[in-house]
Amino acid sequence: MLDLLAYDFMQRSLLAAAMVGGLCSVIGVFVVLRGLAFVGAGTSHAAFAGVALGYLMGWPPLLLAIVFGLATVWITGWVEERGRMKLDVSIGILYTTTMALGILFIGLMKTYNAEVYGYLFGSVLSVTPEELQIIGALSVLVLGLLLLFAKELYFIAFDQEMAEASGVPARQIFFLLLTLVALTVVVSLKTVGAILVFAMILIPASTAYQLTHSLAALTLYSAAIGILTAVTGVLISALWDVPSGPAIVLLATTVFFISVFFSPKRVRRTRLAHSH
Amino acid sequence: MSNPREPIIRFDHASFGFPGLIALQDISLTIYEGEFVGVIGPNGSGKTTLCRAVLGLLAPVEGHLHIFDCACDELRCHHRAKIGYLPQKGVVDRNFPVTVLETVMMGRYGALGLFKRPGRKDRDIALEALAQVAMESHKDNALGHLSGGQQQRVFIARALAQQPKVLILDEPTTGLDITAQHNVIELVQHLHDELKLTVLLITHDINMIRSRVDRLVLLKTRLFAAAPPTEVLKPEILHQVYGKDLVITEKDLVIVEDYHHHH
Repeated sequence: MLDLLAYDFMQRSLLAAAMVGGLCSVIGVFVVLRGLAFVGAGTSHAAFAGVALGYLMGWPPLLLAIVFGLATVWITGWVEERGRMKLDVSIGILYTTTMALGILFIGLMKTYNAEVYGYLFGSVLSVTPEELQIIGALSVLVLGLLLLFAKELYFIAFDQEMAEASGVPARQIFFLLLTLVALTVVVSLKTVGAILVFAMILIPASTAYQLTHSLAALTLYSAAIGILTAVTGVLISALWDVPSGPAIVLLATTVFFISVFFSPKRVRRTRLAHSH
Repeated sequence: MSNPREPIIRFDHASFGFPGLIALQDISLTIYEGEFVGVIGPNGSGKTTLCRAVLGLLAPVEGHLHIFDCACDELRCHHRAKIGYLPQKGVVDRNFPVTVLETVMMGRYGALGLFKRPGRKDRDIALEALAQVAMESHKDNALGHLSGGQQQRVFIARALAQQPKVLILDEPTTGLDITAQHNVIELVQHLHDELKLTVLLITHDINMIRSRVDRLVLLKTRLFAAAPPTEVLKPEILHQVYGKDLVITEKDLVIVEDYHHHH
């Protein structure tokens, strides 16, 4: 295994996995708490449609992924704010529409393009130095903004109206959160893929949710779980020659079920049930 | 009863809602500093709308609303941090993974403003707020592990951590057992007396607050009365608003039919 670590590509993919794992799991805390899980799924498919269009037209795929991702979250946020439609319905429509666009764009390509599929299923082992730089820069940007607005983000996740009533610019913070979710999805596309990125956002935070009642601890646990499972998943992927995306996600899922079983919350619930 | 001093909230022919769906119409009402005001009225009468207006979550569609010395006809006025708010139960996810102290600290966030991290001073203010509601020993407990009455105390502490001049409570006793209901109202009375807070308390339980409040505000889309309880709790006035849902017992208890509308 040590030989493996000597390769540049291996170092790059471990670094990419650690950054993506950390980023997804931290933003995931806010996504889980604010009830935006489905928004993450919708955004990743929209971003993939952007990537496909980029390859079709010869435009920069990541840039178009950002455009598609941001358009999706902003429309979603706007619809929720106006209260015109239930959030899950509007995302469901955008989700399938963008997926259809993605498939259409792939269909319009004259030749089979393996790189496009890399964005769909994730190929962390083929991350290039340039992509690593983009991942690094976007990770720093998103984590920096999360840190800067952490207290407001927690507050709106807990109770947006209360936050607004006590003088926090809740609406703007909500749109900031949606924007950060979209950027996170784009950062993660190459590593875990459009289909699985959603799991990376959801699972570490949900796992940590089982283990603590404190907001601060929740974020730390989630980040630790996200980074560890992503890095370990990449190692498993390289050692046993299995696809990296599923390796990371299935490992995270395993940790999740273990945490549910050993959750102090579950133990307490069981005890309460017995005492009645 | 405290003597009315400076006007602190002033509705001037103010209406709220949307065109075609007016929740509150032509309200003219002045609330003075240090007053303890109970807001009553049937289900859907605009009680919560009145609170949301004072909180700056709604702007008047007609007329004016002045809070402190500011004409708050526009949304997002910066006086909001000076108004503590306890929303109706059920609005907040009570199983949210948050400790008692973390919950109360949120009360500091609006006043702190963006980019500033809460420091030792904010922590001290939060701990003092917890002490005021007698919950300091629970500061590291999970919010979701507390009883309904204890959670209400924590949410009141969060409002107090804003160091507000006005405290607004929307149905603070709903869903609590009788003892807890009494304790919460006692606590509100105590905070009003000790901290000289102006209190707006929305409730269905007229009997629980009638002996404590300076004035009762009776709403049903329009303002029907805003006067001391003895003047408001008269059959002829209450019948205008509650109609046949109203029963006044021999012991002068007021019972209204939609009392239990909150499930």
